[in-house]
Amino acid sequence: MGRVLGTDDATPLEFWVAVANGQHLQLDDIVALDRSLPTGEVVSIYGIVGQVRARHEGARFDSDVFLIADGVLPADVAEAAQIQVTRVVPETFVPPLPGAEVRRAVDEERDEALDMTDVEHRLPAGLTRDGQPVVLDLEFIDGTKGAHVNISGISGVATKTSYATFLLYSLFNSGVLGAAATNTKGLIFNVKGEDLLFLDHANTRLDDTERARYAALGLEAGPFRSMRVLAPPRKGDPNATPATGARTADVKPLYWTVAQFCEQGLLPFLFADAEDERQQYTIVVQSVTAQLQRCAMQSHTSDGAVRIDGRTARTFSQLVTIICDKLLPDDPDEDADPQWTGRSIYTGTINAFVRRLSSAERHVAHLIRADIDDAETHAIDLDSQQVTVVDLHMLHDRAKRFVVGVVLRQAFEAKEAAGTAEPLQFVVLDELNKYAPRDSSSPIKEILLDVAERGRSLGMILIGAQQTASEVERRVVSNSAIRVVGRLDAAEAGREQYGFLPAVQRQRATILKPGSMFVSQPRLPVPVLLEFPFPAWATRVAEADLSGGRSDQPADPFDGLT
Amino acid sequence: MEFSVESWAPEYGSSLNLPSVEDTGDRADATVERALDEWAPIDPAPARSPGEIAFIDGIQRIDARIWIHENGISTPAVCVSVAAGATVCAPGTATTEGVRVARALIAPASSTAGPIGTRHATYEFVPAQDGTPEATYLAIHGRRTELEVGVARSVSCGLIVFDGPLRGYNDPQSVGYIKTHHKVYLPNAVQPILGDLADGQRTPLFFLSGGQARGRWSWYLRLPGPRVHPMSGIVRLELPGTGTAAEAVERAGHVSACLPYFASEPHKEPRAPQNLYPISGIERELRRRLGDALLLERALRIAAGHAT
Repeated sequence: MGRVLGTDDATPLEFWVAVANGQHLQLDDIVALDRSLPTGEVVSIYGIVGQVRARHEGARFDSDVFLIADGVLPADVAEAAQIQVTRVVPETFVPPLPGAEVRRAVDEERDEALDMTDVEHRLPAGLTRDGQPVVLDLEFIDGTKGAHVNISGISGVATKTSYATFLLYSLFNSGVLGAAATNTKGLIFNVKGEDLLFLDHANTRLDDTERARYAALGLEAGPFRSMRVLAPPRKGDPNATPATGARTADVKPLYWTVAQFCEQGLLPFLFADAEDERQQYTIVVQSVTAQLQRCAMQSHTSDGAVRIDGRTARTFSQLVTIICDKLLPDDPDEDADPQWTGRSIYTGTINAFVRRLSSAERHVAHLIRADIDDAETHAIDLDSQQVTVVDLHMLHDRAKRFVVGVVLRQAFEAKEAAGTAEPLQFVVLDELNKYAPRDSSSPIKEILLDVAERGRSLGMILIGAQQTASEVERRVVSNSAIRVVGRLDAAEAGREQYGFLPAVQRQRATILKPGSMFVSQPRLPVPVLLEFPFPAWATRVAEADLSGGRSDQPADPFDGLT
Repeated sequence: MEFSVESWAPEYGSSLNLPSVEDTGDRADATVERALDEWAPIDPAPARSPGEIAFIDGIQRIDARIWIHENGISTPAVCVSVAAGATVCAPGTATTEGVRVARALIAPASSTAGPIGTRHATYEFVPAQDGTPEATYLAIHGRRTELEVGVARSVSCGLIVFDGPLRGYNDPQSVGYIKTHHKVYLPNAVQPILGDLADGQRTPLFFLSGGQARGRWSWYLRLPGPRVHPMSGIVRLELPGTGTAAEAVERAGHVSACLPYFASEPHKEPRAPQNLYPISGIERELRRRLGDALLLERALRIAAGHAT
C-alpha cells in the first residue's frame, strides 16, 4: 500500500504512511507492517487509518495550485495516511521504521489487528464499513473482566436504543451465552414513543441485504422471541387496563398496591432529591416511610389496602390525605405526631414535604392503588419472559423516575437475594442524564450507582444511554467497559467525557450517519467505527408483522369465499 | 587518497565573481530580418497551441571544500553536487522529467585525486585545469552542461528551452533562454527599441557569430510584468544558427508567442518575470534532489576519517 514516511515522527502509537502511486487508503482501513529487531525478533504492528491527507509537493503558495493545474508549474501529489496503532505483537513497543512497507490487513491479519483471534466468548457487535464482522469479548460485558455498556449520541439517528436492542438480540441469539441464554433476562425501559413495544414482531421492512448482514455476523434475522410489556394503567380506569396504545397482546398492568408501597418503603422514590442531605424535609420522608412500613406490617389486609390508626387507605389519594392529617393536625394548637414528623419541628419543613407529596399525587395516583380485585396476586414479575419492556412513555417525569427507581430496586434486590451472577440480568435504560444526573443526588441515582458499581459481581448489567455523557454521573459512565458514541453535537464532542476518542474521531462523531458509531472496548486502544444491521424487529407499529410470523394464515381470510 | 574537510562552512569563499559564460566576443549582424532603419517592435504571432515544451535547467552546490594531502603537500579541491532536469509542460500538466544528479570532486588534473566514496554518495573525480577558482568553476559548469545536454537528449518535445545560452548545443528543437544581460548586442542606433517593446513584443532577429561554430540566431523579447526600468522583463533568446533567416523568423515568432504564458509574478518568484514558472519549479525540485547538504558534508567528514 505504501511506506512509513520519515518526515513526520513515527511512534509506537501513531505514525504516517505515504500511500504508493495507484493505491489508496481510506479512513478505517486496517493495515499491518513488520519490523525486525536486532535480536532477530519480528514485531508486527497493526493499526487503523485515522486520517488521510493529500497535498502538492513543490508548491509554496496556495495559489500555486492554479499554475499546477494549468500545467505551468511542476508538482507532485502526495497522499498520506495517519495510522493509529491498535496492537503490537509481541509487545515490544518500538516505532515502525521510515521506509517500512505497509500492507492492508485482511482475513486473519485483520482479526489479529482488531485483537479478535483469541477471544473465547465472541459477541457479534457490528460490522466495519467494509461489511466485515467485529466481535466483542463477552468477558468485558458479563462481569468477568468488566461490565456495562454506555451509549452516547443525539436522538433521532438510530444509535442509542437501536444499538442497545441490537446488542441484547445478539447476546440472546448468537449463542455466546451458551445454555445460560434461555434464562438470561432483559429489562428494557421504553421512555419514548412506542418504539420498543413491538420487539417480538418481525420487521416488514427488513430486506435481503440486511438479512445478509445479520448472516455475516452469524445471527439469524428475526424478532425477539419471548417478551412481555408492563404498562401503567389508564388514568381513571377502575379496572387498571394497561395504557399501551397500539399493542394489546401480552401486556400486563404496572402498578403497586398501597400495601406494597408502604411495606417496601417506596415513598422516597417520589422525591427526586430525597437523599440530598441539605434538604431538611428528607427527615420527614424517612420518618413517614418508617411509619408506613410499621402500619403495613400490622394491618395485613387481603386486598392490598393499608389501615393506619383506624383509617383505611385504598387509593394513593387516601394515603396522602392520611399522611397529611398526621403531619398537619386540624387543630393548630395540637402538635403533630413526632413519630411521623421525625425530629423536624418546623412547620415550614413539614409543609415542604406535604407540598411535594401532593404535587406527586396526580402523577402517580394510578400507579399505587388497592382498588383492583386481584390486587394481591398482582406482582411485578420480571422473570416470566426473556425480555420485559416497561413502558414509561405515557408517564410524567416524576412517575417515570418513580417507576424506574422502584423496578430497578426490585430487580437489584432480587439479584442480591439470588446470590449468583448467573443467569445475567440486562437492563436497558435511556436518558441516564435524567436518572443519574451529574450534580444531584436521589434514590434512583443511588440505585443506578449500585448497579454500576456492584452490578458487575451480582450479574446485573446496565446498558445505559444518554444524549450527553457530560450530564451523567461520572461513576456510572466510567464503570462501563464498553463505550459507544453515535453522532454527537459539536460542543458535546469536545468535552472531556469523550477523552477516549482521538481528535479525528471526535470530529467525525459530529457527522456520523445513522446506524454507525464508534465502539471503544478495553482490548483495543482505538475506538472502531461500527455499523449494525437494520433492526429485524419492528421499531414502530407500522413496521410490525402483526400476523405473528405465522405464514399459514392467508393474507385475506375471506379469500376463496363466494 | 588522503584528504580532510575544511572546517569552515563551504559557502565561505564561494562568492567570487565568475567569468561570464556568455561569449562577449561575438559579433552581431542586426540586418538579417530587417534593415536597421526599419527596426521596430514586432507584435507576437497569433498564439498557437504550443504542444509540449520542455524547460531544462541545472544547478550546482558546493558540498564541502577539502584538502588533498600528498607527500606533505596539500591541494585545495571542492566536492560539488550537480543536478539537471526538465519540466515538460503540456496543456494541463507540468511534470518533472529526466532528473539527473551527479557528485563530483573537482581537483587540479595534476593531483592524485581519485573518487571519494561516502555512505550516501560517491564523488567522481573531475579534473580541472589548475587550482584557480576560475578553473574550478569552469569544471563544475562543464559537468553541469553535460548533464543538461543528457536531459535534453532524453526528452522528446517540439520545443526545448535551455535556461541559459545554447553553448554550442545544436539540436534544432532547442532554444537558449538568457535572463541576465552582460552585454547588449544591438548596435547603438537600434538599442532604444528595447525600451519601446510592449508586453509580448520582440525585436527583429540578429545573427551572432564568432566563438562558437555556425553562430546563433538571436532576438530580445519582453515578458509581461511590471516595468521598473527599460530592461525589466527583457530576455534574450537564441536558436542554433542553422537554416535560412526566414525559417529562423518563423520559429522565433512561434517561441515568442509561447513563452509569455509561463512568465512568473513578483510575489511568487523574486526573479519575476524572467524566471519562468517551469524553471523555478524545476530548480526547486533539483535543489531537493541534491539531498541535504549537512548530511553529505557529515558523510564526507566521516569518509575523511576513514581515508587511507
